[in-house]
Amino acid sequence: MRRFPRRLTPAGRWRFPPRTARLRLTLLYGGLSMLLWTALLALVYLLLNGSSTVVAQISPHHVRLAISAPPGSQFGTVTRDFTAPNGVAVQQRDADLARLLGVSWLGLALTTLGSAAIGWFAAGRVLRPLRAITTTARTISAGSLHQRLALAGPDDEFRRLGETLDELLARLQASFEAQRRFVANASHELRTPLTVERTLLQVALADPDATVQTLRATCEELLVAGAEQERLLEALLTLASSERGLEQQEPLDLAVLTESALEAHQVATHRLGLRVRADLQAAPTNGDPALIRRLIANLIDNAVDHNVPGGEVQISTGLQDGGAVLSVANSGTAIAPDQTARLLEPFQRLDSSRLADDLEHHGLGLSIVRAIADAHGAGLSVRAQPQGGLAVTVRFAPGGRA
Amino acid sequence: MRVLIAEDHRRLAAALAEGLRREGMAVDLAFDGRDALAHAAVTVYDVIVLDRDLPVIHGDQVCRMLVAEHSPTRVLMLTAATTIKDRVEGLGLGADDYLPKPFDFSELVARIRALARRSSPPLPPTLTHGDLVLDPARRAASRGARRLTLTPKEFAVLEYLLAVDGRVVSAEELLQRVWDEAANPFTHTVKTTIGRLRAKLGAPPLIETIREGGYRI
Repeated sequence: MRRFPRRLTPAGRWRFPPRTARLRLTLLYGGLSMLLWTALLALVYLLLNGSSTVVAQISPHHVRLAISAPPGSQFGTVTRDFTAPNGVAVQQRDADLARLLGVSWLGLALTTLGSAAIGWFAAGRVLRPLRAITTTARTISAGSLHQRLALAGPDDEFRRLGETLDELLARLQASFEAQRRFVANASHELRTPLTVERTLLQVALADPDATVQTLRATCEELLVAGAEQERLLEALLTLASSERGLEQQEPLDLAVLTESALEAHQVATHRLGLRVRADLQAAPTNGDPALIRRLIANLIDNAVDHNVPGGEVQISTGLQDGGAVLSVANSGTAIAPDQTARLLEPFQRLDSSRLADDLEHHGLGLSIVRAIADAHGAGLSVRAQPQGGLAVTVRFAPGGRA
Repeated sequence: MRVLIAEDHRRLAAALAEGLRREGMAVDLAFDGRDALAHAAVTVYDVIVLDRDLPVIHGDQVCRMLVAEHSPTRVLMLTAATTIKDRVEGLGLGADDYLPKPFDFSELVARIRALARRSSPPLPPTLTHGDLVLDPARRAASRGARRLTLTPKEFAVLEYLLAVDGRVVSAEELLQRVWDEAANPFTHTVKTTIGRLRAKLGAPPLIETIREGGYRI
């Protein structure tokens, strides 16, 4: 909270201090207390002014004091006569009232000031956690998202606000870190095809005995490297867009999409001599058909590429607890169970022994699967099979995502 | 000069090997960390070009293990990470040099040569013997005023014989250091190459044949 700026405007007049919550609370407190005190004093004054204790001049040398009981009580009015010079009673009464008025003004001023001071102090105390939140939040930037407010004190509104902000910071930090990792990985991965292209060109150009044939071969290799780069970029874009969320949703059946994906992979599975066992039961859900198609294709790609010759791919779709489920399992080399989480991170590859050509792998396949599953609110489980290979299951929420 | 390229990207590895072979180096390939260590255990390489992101055994670990064995091999690390922190880390692991991807092929060749020269004893950039002058960086050889046109293999044999400074080199050693693992050890490759080299060098003869021993300049 800022201090009152004691600065002068160019014209030399005091500027009104900023209307902080503390000042507003102080004014409210002081104002309320002034109002109450004013009302109280006015009441006293009015009561005295028209009080039932009446001092009256009954003769030039006598005054009568009459005290009346409240109306309806059993006591009547008591009167006493005193000797006093003419005019004394009226003077006395006016003097009393004037003194009362004077003291009242002073009291009012003092209590108002006092309560404003107490209000200022109390508001400061109450607002202190807020000040702590402001100070800490101001020092937290994109580079220091690991900082937390970590408010101490009683479990009150401020503490809950602090905790909410801390949770927000944690989420922000996680997403910033994912982003940073992704950018670092992407720039890392994009350098490799660039290096291949540059090396191919430079080696070809440095050859003093280059012929049309060798240059043609280099050109063809460059085209392949270009295609590799294209695939990588496309995969990166898919990953980025599926992390952004769903653009459209419509009813679809996992069984139908899986069947067409399997047909598209027939050549590859046949070439590698893999046995495909498919058990496709109707599995209706809601989702973005293009993204779901990509998810299925990536899972099958993964199961085929990381397989062993003569191995097996098992695919099943169906309903489980009302939600559509797709599972893809493959035989392959053994994977340590603690490595499966790594597989979902972008650009992670566990081995170099692959069936398919190097070029097909950009290390983004399962990351894209995860991003698409997340976008659909579907659960993803990846298990290393004891006999080798992976088993991946995607579970959609019953009735699709609301 | 015998070089091992440990790089998991096969196309890149193949292109590098082709270029380096043309530069007269004997090049072997390894596609993962375990393979690289297996190669290094069998053959003494002058330089290992080591990609940092190798599968199975990470390049960092390979580098650490090579350094721990006190092998005379120089390690040139390649990496796609370009931050200064990465480079410092790489050199801290014991790598002798560090080249970020993407690099210029000519720079890679120059660095490999510079690293190989640093083997003990240090070699001058130009090798001479009498009127024979060999400049490995420019791939130029001359005898007196006459320029010699040598194949990469012939150049490499001559370079090796000059580098050992008068020591007798056996045919097996030449096969080890100048030819890569694709060479068949039971052929007369070394003999024929030496023969062609002698013819190109002309008179007076420079390369001696030592009985039961090998060759010497």
